[in-house]
Amino acid sequence: MTPHEVSTKTLLKSTIAATVIALIVFVCFILPAEYNIDPTHIGHKLGLTALAHHNDEATPQAETAVMQEQAQQAQQVIEVTVPAGKGIEYKFQMAQHEKMTYEWLTDGEPLYFDLHGEPEGDTTGYFESYAIATLSEMRGSFTSPFNGSHGWYWKNNTTQPVAIQLIVAGQYKVIGLKQ
Amino acid sequence: MPNNMLRLVALLIGLLLLGTSIDGLAHGVDDNTRVFLEENEGVQFIPFIYIGAKHMFTGYDHILFLVGVIFFLYRSRDVLLYVSMFTLGHSVTLLWGVLGDIQVNPYLIDAIIGFSVVYKGFDNLGGLKRLLGKQPSTKVAVLIFGLFHGFGLATKLQEFELASDGLVANMIAFNIGVELGQFMALAFIVIAINFWRKSASFQRFTTITNTMLMSAGLMLVGLQLSGYYLS
Repeated sequence: MTPHEVSTKTLLKSTIAATVIALIVFVCFILPAEYNIDPTHIGHKLGLTALAHHNDEATPQAETAVMQEQAQQAQQVIEVTVPAGKGIEYKFQMAQHEKMTYEWLTDGEPLYFDLHGEPEGDTTGYFESYAIATLSEMRGSFTSPFNGSHGWYWKNNTTQPVAIQLIVAGQYKVIGLKQ
Repeated sequence: MPNNMLRLVALLIGLLLLGTSIDGLAHGVDDNTRVFLEENEGVQFIPFIYIGAKHMFTGYDHILFLVGVIFFLYRSRDVLLYVSMFTLGHSVTLLWGVLGDIQVNPYLIDAIIGFSVVYKGFDNLGGLKRLLGKQPSTKVAVLIFGLFHGFGLATKLQEFELASDGLVANMIAFNIGVELGQFMALAFIVIAINFWRKSASFQRFTTITNTMLMSAGLMLVGLQLSGYYLS
């Protein structure tokens, strides 16, 4: 092994150049494309921030906006991410006796969940649970017992964010995430 | 020999495109693999070899580190020795991490893997010798960073709840796959570098190549650390 030795000046120049190039690429391209963080607005101009929306790690808010536009389809695939140590609620508006079939799964991590409904206009905080368990996947169907918002509460007790894929079909309107 | 240079650049770009066209790179496993792993039950020797090989071959963080390691290894005996140290390191922690269920944050471990690339690029320019007054053992460094790379490989598998049924055999298969993927990647790197060494441009571009290695390593560190803070 014959290490290549350069002068201190070249070494300094190389290290600084490496850092500067890395910083520029990081701020202008990597952050916008991977995490939708775009301080320079270059990522947006280049269309890189669009990549972040399709990422597994995209923010739930960004995805909800898209989902709300495509309410009531034959079958809908919804992806949500439950941040580490947090709980999220994903709801659908359904009138009485409307039906939904559903299937959801995580990437293997079991989550505590509560499938429940809240009557429209209720201010007392009343809700009715249809299923409570800790599972990594579940499929089933239900008929809305009353007009209101129906959906899942998932709680992530791990230290990693957990992605959930939710596939629904039936009569409903997406309300989306409530935090 | 500008002709050789052109061919090398074409080869590098080809490799880069090959890498970027495959989903689920340096972090995580792609969706098809994910579905497979979740539905998997029992021993699946060949598929796990394939997953391991694919991860290593398309994992640019591991590849960049290997480029740095063998950059100045002229003799094939040295290449074999250093690669064996690296293999020993990452095999130990891959098996230990998954079988012992050691929980390491994947972002932090991938940031350290990024740092290993920076370290090697800096070391290749004689930076550590200058900074510390003497050259730290390159063999020990490869072994230690190999241990971290192994934890990185382990976290990729731990993202899934692998069935305990057949876990040991599957893990060994994955590890064999990792070595095969590494071997394939190395074949490309060693041929490219040996070929390049013959031309005068190698000396001329040594500094720039290692500067680029450092820079790429820093990008990986930034990518993973921001992932850590944002998740």
